[in-house]
Order: sequence, then C-alpha cells, then structure tokens
Amino acid sequence: MSDQQNNLPESDETNGPRVPLPEAQPRGYFEGESVTRRNAFMVSSQVLAGVAGAAVVLPTIAFALAPVFTPHEERWEAVGTVNDFTADTYRPIVFTETLGIGEVGKTTAYVRKGSTDFEGESADEFVAISTRCAHLGCPVRYVQAAGNFICPCHGGVYDFEGKRIGGPPPRPLDRFQTRVQDGKVEIGPRFSVTNQLKAVRVRDPGEFTGGIWEFLYPPRPSTPPPPS
Amino acid sequence: MKLPLPTRKSKDTDANANGNGNGNGANGTSPEGPSKAERRAAVKTAAVHHSAEGGATAAGWVDQRVNGTGIYTAMLTRKVPKGTNWFYTLGSATMFIFAMQAITGVFLSMYYTPSATQAYASITHMTNDVFMGEFVRGMHKWGGSLMIILIFLHMARTFFFGAYKYPRELNWVIGVVLVVLTMVMGLTGYLLPFDQRSFWATIVANNITASGPVVGPYLADFLRAGPDFSATTLSRFYALHMLLVPGLMGGLIAAHLFLVIKLGTTAPPWVKAARPKGARPTEFVPAGVPAPEAQGSPATNGAVSEGAVSNGASPEAPAAEPAADTVDVPEASDPDGEVNA
Repeated sequence: MSDQQNNLPESDETNGPRVPLPEAQPRGYFEGESVTRRNAFMVSSQVLAGVAGAAVVLPTIAFALAPVFTPHEERWEAVGTVNDFTADTYRPIVFTETLGIGEVGKTTAYVRKGSTDFEGESADEFVAISTRCAHLGCPVRYVQAAGNFICPCHGGVYDFEGKRIGGPPPRPLDRFQTRVQDGKVEIGPRFSVTNQLKAVRVRDPGEFTGGIWEFLYPPRPSTPPPPS
Repeated sequence: MKLPLPTRKSKDTDANANGNGNGNGANGTSPEGPSKAERRAAVKTAAVHHSAEGGATAAGWVDQRVNGTGIYTAMLTRKVPKGTNWFYTLGSATMFIFAMQAITGVFLSMYYTPSATQAYASITHMTNDVFMGEFVRGMHKWGGSLMIILIFLHMARTFFFGAYKYPRELNWVIGVVLVVLTMVMGLTGYLLPFDQRSFWATIVANNITASGPVVGPYLADFLRAGPDFSATTLSRFYALHMLLVPGLMGGLIAAHLFLVIKLGTTAPPWVKAARPKGARPTEFVPAGVPAPEAQGSPATNGAVSEGAVSNGASPEAPAAEPAADTVDVPEASDPDGEVNA
C-alpha cells in the first residue's frame, strides 16, 4: 500500500504538484463537531416516534392490567337466622359471590355454628366453608355419612373442618367471613387458611399457604385482607 | 398495443436474437432444433409476459407495479429439493385450517354475544335456529382440534427431518411461538360456548395458571380480570380469542412463510445431497434418521386426538351441554373433560 504511494510521482508537468483532496464531509459539517446534523435529526425523530408509540401502548397495557390492582368489592349477604344452623352438621347455602354474571356468579358455602370442640372456635360464631376445591377449583360436596368434603374431579378429600386428608389439594378449603346482624347470619368475603387454619389473604386453588409459600404465591392486591 | 415502458423483455429478446445471429460457439446452434440457450430465453420471455404487456391488460398493469408474477413464482413455482413428499404439506394444511378458523370465526361472531348471561343462549340460537349455523359452528369447533393435531404433526416433521437446523433456527422459534399461540386459541375459545364443560374447564385452566409460583397469581388475575371469574372475564377471553391472538398469529405466519420462501425447504434426510458437477463421488453416509413411517406420532398427538373423539359429539351437532352453573353440578365428573381445553 505504502509502496504504491511512494511510487506515485510527486508532481507532473501538466497538473502541478499533487494535492490531496479534503476528506468528504456531509453538508453543514464544521470542524470539531461531535454529532452531525444528520445524526441529531435521526436520533431525535426516533425518540419522538418512541414517545408517540409509548403514549399509545403504555396506557393500553395499564388499561388491560388494571383489574390485577383494583380491589374487589366487598359483599355481605344474609343467608338465614341464627337458629337455622347447628354445630354438628353443615347446611349448604347458595349465595351470590359476583354480581352481573347470572348463574355462574353464585357459589355454595357449607355453614355451621362454631363449636368449642375445635381449637380457635367459639359457640357464638359461624363457620362458612367454601365448596371451591383447593386443588383446581371444582365444587366439593359435603358427604354426611363420611363427615368429609369430597371433590368429584380429582379425588380431593377434606375432613369436617375442611383440612385436607387425601388427594391432591395443597391446603384446606377456603372459608368465608361471617357476622351476625339483627339475628341474621351474613356471609362476607372469602379468605384462605393455612394447614393450621390460620386466616390468610385468599389464594387461588392450586396454591399452597403458610411459611415460605406466602412468598412463592404472593397475596394479590385485588383481594380483600383476611379477618384478623 | 405496447407502451414504450422499459421492460426486461426487450433485453431478453435482444439477447436471444444475438444468440441466433452470431451462432454462439459455446452453446452451439444445432440444426435439429432450438438450442438450450434459445429455449431458456423463450421460457424467460414467457415468464415476463405479463409485465411486458403492462399497458395492455389490467392484470399486467397491476403486475408491473407489484411484481405479482414474482410473488407467484416465489411461492408456487419455486424449486424444491428432490424427495419432497406429502409430509411437506402439513404446514400448508395447518395454514389452511387457520384460514378456515378465521373465516368461520368472523361469521360466528355475527351471532355470538360475549356476555356471561347471554352467551349460552346465543350459542344455542345459532346452533339450532340459524340456517347452516350447526355446520359453521361445527367446522370451527372441529377445526380447532384439527389445527392442534396438524401443527404438532408439522412440528414433528420439521424435527425428524432436521429441518430446524442452520439456517432455519429462527423459523423453528417462530413456529414454536405459533404452537403456543394455537394452544392459547384453544384455551380462550373453549370458554366461549359457556356451557358446563367450557366454564369448569376454564376455571380449572385458570387455576393451573395461578399455581405457577410468583407470577402465576398475577397472570391468573390478568386472564380473569380480577380475583374471581367476573363479568369481564368472558369478554376478555373473547377479545384475546378473536382479535389479539389471531392478529399475532397472522403476522407470525407471514414471517414464517417469508423465511420458508427465502431459505427454501430441506430435502428429507434419506436423500443423497447433490454434489457439484465434476466433483469426485464420495461415499454416501446415511443420516441415521428413521423413516417417517417408523416415527409414530408424539404422545401429545394421541392425547389430543383422543380427547377430540371422546367429546362425544358429531361434527354436525356440537355438544349439547347444560348452561354454565356453579350450583347445580354433577356429583361426579369426567376428569378428562376438565383438562380437554
């Protein structure tokens, strides 16, 4: 390469001494600038396009994600008088859990009076156990002869308190908050329980509760806080 | 009547004329008929016929501006390797079913109401009362199962023929995304009839989603539009099923096809690779890939087709399930139904 340059004549008769051409530069370039005019316009138009795109896409995504962060409305529904329930067996109660979707908004709870036979219960409270299986959400059924809750789908079995005694469910059956107002028993928001029946924020079926599972299946902001 | 537009034809015919006149020594104009070069030139001339007639016919006018002949040639008359066989039609078959699902789906949406209280009634109406409703809905319902079977067979063909290897890895990745999206279509579409089976299958599928650690609960909340099955769940599934996912799939199918045309297809593994002319013959080493007859289908295919058959409905009459209900549920259910999304 350098050899070739050295071989070039320094000058010739017709054109005079050989002068190297100035380096080609874009129009408007001036010595020492770090960003060319072309680059500045290219970057700024790309930034503007990005801002315009984000202005459309980000609100839309937020719109679609909103329900994940919106608290669910709390409903209380009266399901009978204090005397309708006993402590030794369950009574199935159908009530509306979600409004506006007709039949599928209803759910069934098995309700009984509290009993001092069980730890942490008092005789003047009511226990409402959800029929939603803790495995994958099929509706369980209370079988009086066995005193168990049995799931028809994959064979989950729960004892009288709703604790798992067989099959695939990862935790006990969910419960509903209850209260007594003017002699009527009212059913409120759903909550989940740990294996020790400690109330926690409601989890979806299939999720474990208690211990490290509280971090692996974090509580969702869309759910109501558990009863204290 | 030709307009003086610059076309490739004039160049080609000139070349042809020169070839004849000069008697090109290399090609040799044999006395018994047209030379190889002449025939090639004639074929070329025929290929650009439409664009040459650009000014004269409407088809030519369009063709000259969009190069339709080029697209047609690239898609339908491109060269394929020796040994190309019926297994290579599985991708086209899947795409045909996608088109069928798109067409029948658009027309089903004319009668469907995506509301938890009205969906079931609108489905029974379109199935029982609307002329051909049973047939169009049956096509869509059975087409869904068929598409999942075909896409897996197509995937198996690609896998066993080694067609995912360089330079087609990106096309494999796009294909895998398409498989996932096809499954999403199956899942979201399953809820829409809103009968007992579809409602409870969706509840179960959603809870399976929720049981994934850390992100699962939030993902399930996103799918359901809240902590419980609610008024917007069905419309959300409907929007995903008929707008978002098909749109994504259409774009990905276009990219998939583009790459197929750009890169070409592979020969089956048992076909000897072509060697350049004059090269010394080398010993053929079989790739050691079993013949397709011996491969069988993956377990998933069997499960899917079995599920489709055990739905217990004929194509003419989509299953007459009772309306979705959380209270009046059967005492024991068919576990197969719960996961047959």
